[in-house]
Amino acid sequence: MAFQILLNFILAFVWMFLSVSFTAPSFIVGYLLGLLIILAMRRFFPDRFYLWRVFAAISLLLLFLKELIKANIDVLKTILKPKLDFQPGIFAYETKLKKDWEVTLLANLITLTPGTLVMDVSMDKKILYVHAIDLPDKDAVIDDIRNSFEKAIMEVSR
Amino acid sequence: MKTNDVILQTVTKVTVFIIILFSLRLFFSGHYTPGGGFIGGLMTAGALVLLLLAFDLKTVANILPIDYKIVTAIGLLFAIGTAAGALLFNVPFLTHAFDYFTLPILGKTSLHTAVLFDTGVYLVVVGVTMTIIQTIGVSD
Repeated sequence: MAFQILLNFILAFVWMFLSVSFTAPSFIVGYLLGLLIILAMRRFFPDRFYLWRVFAAISLLLLFLKELIKANIDVLKTILKPKLDFQPGIFAYETKLKKDWEVTLLANLITLTPGTLVMDVSMDKKILYVHAIDLPDKDAVIDDIRNSFEKAIMEVSR
Repeated sequence: MKTNDVILQTVTKVTVFIIILFSLRLFFSGHYTPGGGFIGGLMTAGALVLLLLAFDLKTVANILPIDYKIVTAIGLLFAIGTAAGALLFNVPFLTHAFDYFTLPILGKTSLHTAVLFDTGVYLVVVGVTMTIIQTIGVSD
C-alpha cells in the first residue's frame, strides 16, 4: 500500500522531469498516468491495488456518517420519551481486529455513535467493554457492530 | 489496576507530528501574523508532554536523547550572539539587520536576523519547560 503510493509519487515526479514543466497540473497528469500503469501492473504487487483501499476508506466514512445520524435520532427518541423504560447495560465485545490502529478506530467509531460508549480495552486487545444506553438484547447490538463497522474496517486493512 | 492505553497511544502517534508541524508554522509566522518563538516553543513542549503522558519517561528519553539544559544554553547563546553581532558593525547592541536575497528555490526572500533571535527564544522555552516537567515527573 505505502510502497504503491510512493511509487506513484515517484512516477509523477519523473513525468515532471521528462516534460520539463514543474507545475501542479503536470504533476497531476503524471500522477494519473502512473495510476494507470500501476493498475495495469497490479498483479505484480503482493497486496491489493491501493485505490480500492482508498474507496473502502471513503465507504467507511460514509457508513460512519449514516450511523451517526441514525443513532442520534434513536437517542433523541430515548430522551424525549415521557417514560424511562430503557435498560442501560455493559457488555463485552470480542473483536477480531489485530492491529493497534484498527482497534483504536473501532473503539472511536463505537464511542462517536451515540448510545454506545467504549469504557475499556482488555490487556490483550481482544475484548472491548462497551456501555450501551439501551440494551434489550445484547446479541443484536453485537451483531450490529460486527456487521457494520468491523466489516468495513477489515475491508480497509485487508 | 493496570489499564490498556492502546487508544491513547495510537492517537498520540499521529497527533504529535501534527502539533509539532503547527508549532513550526507558528514559529515562522511570528513576523507578520500572530505567533513567534515563545508560543511555538510552548507548542513543541506541549507535543513532548503529550508523548510523556501517553508513554513513560524512560521511553521518551530513548526516543529523544536530549539534555534539555543544554538546549536552554544553546538558545541563550543564539540570543546573545545575535545581539552581540550588532557590535561588529558599529551599531548599538541588539540592532537587527535585514535584506532581500534571491534563493535558488524560494525566489526573493527577506532574511532577518530577528529570526535567529527568535530561534534562541524558541530553544530556551522548549528547554526550560521540558526541564521543569521532567524534574517534577521523576518520582524517586
